[in-house]
Amino acid sequence: MVTSPNPVPPPSADWLDALLAGDAADHRAGYVTDEGFTARVMQRLPVLDALPAWRRPIVAGLWLVAAVLVATMLPGTAHEIARDMFTLFAARPFSLSTLGFAIFAVGLATWTAAALALRKE
Amino acid sequence: MAAAPRTHDITDAQLIARCLVADDRHAFAELVKRHQSSVRACLRKLTAGNHALADDLAQDTFVLAWRNLKSFRQEARFSTWLYRIATNCWLAQARKRHEELLGDRDAEISSDDDGDAALPHSSGGDHAPAATMKIDLERALARLSDAERAAIVQCYHNDLSHEEAAYVLGWPVGTVKTHILRGKQKLRTALAAWAPPATT
Repeated sequence: MVTSPNPVPPPSADWLDALLAGDAADHRAGYVTDEGFTARVMQRLPVLDALPAWRRPIVAGLWLVAAVLVATMLPGTAHEIARDMFTLFAARPFSLSTLGFAIFAVGLATWTAAALALRKE
Repeated sequence: MAAAPRTHDITDAQLIARCLVADDRHAFAELVKRHQSSVRACLRKLTAGNHALADDLAQDTFVLAWRNLKSFRQEARFSTWLYRIATNCWLAQARKRHEELLGDRDAEISSDDDGDAALPHSSGGDHAPAATMKIDLERALARLSDAERAAIVQCYHNDLSHEEAAYVLGWPVGTVKTHILRGKQKLRTALAAWAPPATT
């Protein structure tokens, strides 16, 4: 950060500046004793997660593997669902803007879900 | 075998790294011990001497610092970053207080006239003149608007440059200077009794 010279002028510059500078010097010279303050702050800190920070990617990875396994083990079902969905959508006339919006919405939902799953807290 | 470094030999940056890498709470406790005095003293000034409120806000400040330690980019000193969080806590609390105190009290706080009015000269009593003057200064500072008091406390009492104060307060540098100027004008009026006689 760029710093400029201290704005507090020498005490002789002005009676109010001298008064403020004197009060500021007293303020800085004084020390507020802890008296349990640090302990109270430490008690108020949020507790740590029971699981380490890397748990979320692991959990997300496991869910992905499980989804792939389910899709692989049930090829007929997955194929039928995909074909029915394609038929359903292909039967409807889509404009380019509708298609674009649908892709955007799916992308947004995917990224939001990923961000939620991978966030620290 | 080399001796383990003593805690006061370790820099703030090293302690912050320990907190971030290993969730080291002892390192954070050391940071709190190092900076609690300056943060609490700053908040005591901002709250016009309300020590209980200042300590509550200081606790909020350090809890927020712990939660947001990852966002600390070392673009300012750690103490300056803490002042920024502390000031934000105080401003949020002050806004809440102003909303609650609708009516006469709110008008009293926001009125420019109040800050401009000269304070009645404190009766000397058993106090030395310097102590009496200090009391009058505290009272005059308490009568400034929140923005004026914040700007003066950051630049004078926390010894920050205008640029650092602008970072702490989240204002442009020009706004900081304006609030200091206005605040000092009000202080000059309020403390006129303490002004030395004009020499010709």
